[in-house]
Amino acid sequence: MTYKIEENGNSRIVHLTGEIDMDVADKARQSILPLIEAGHEVHLNLSKVEYMDSSGISVLIESKKLSEKKNTKFELVEVSKPVEKVLAMARKFL
Amino acid sequence: MSEIAHQNHSEKKAFLVNSSSLRDVRSFCRGVFEKLQINNDLKEELVLAIAEAAQNIVKHAFKNNADANELMVVQISCESNKLQIAFYDRGTPVDPKKVKHREIDNVKPGGLGTFFIQEIMDAVEFKDGKRPWINHLVLTKQL
Repeated sequence: MTYKIEENGNSRIVHLTGEIDMDVADKARQSILPLIEAGHEVHLNLSKVEYMDSSGISVLIESKKLSEKKNTKFELVEVSKPVEKVLAMARKFL
Repeated sequence: MSEIAHQNHSEKKAFLVNSSSLRDVRSFCRGVFEKLQINNDLKEELVLAIAEAAQNIVKHAFKNNADANELMVVQISCESNKLQIAFYDRGTPVDPKKVKHREIDNVKPGGLGTFFIQEIMDAVEFKDGKRPWINHLVLTKQL
């Protein structure tokens, strides 16, 4: 998994690419959480994520919770088809 | 249920029990499912269920023993359009009564993997592991 961060005022657009599983979840977490911690709005682009499992969903949940605590914004701006399928399944659970 | 008669086939492979093996587990599964001509949508769902089960072995069965050069075996078998995926490991014995996803109103990520497995597969069964194995998990799905 690789990531790229774009800056736009107080917003940060985080682009993740590749496969997100337990092995790289911490790398994904570290690409997002410090930005939220610093008070930035984070827009997450997952359009180039080919695979995501429950570890990736955990990162999204942690990010959302931290953004609420920090009173800032965390949102998904684009998702790939594999990610959409996993999110749809997770929504039944969450 | 699939209208294709999938060929009978069985393959197994051993993987080191660590998180960096999960990519190899997925790759192995995709290869077998391509041989079985399973359509792409179902293939990716099955890969997710298998990867979540393998992740549970890494996270839970080997929770306190992550650096050991231990192996887990994944076996995929298809017979009469019934898919069976077996996992073997020598980690901490699993108590099936404790393997459940959490309550739905408790918004925490833990247990989501087990929920995915149950959503995707028809049955999840813990069997007694025969030597040298300790845990033997079997997932099944009618194709």
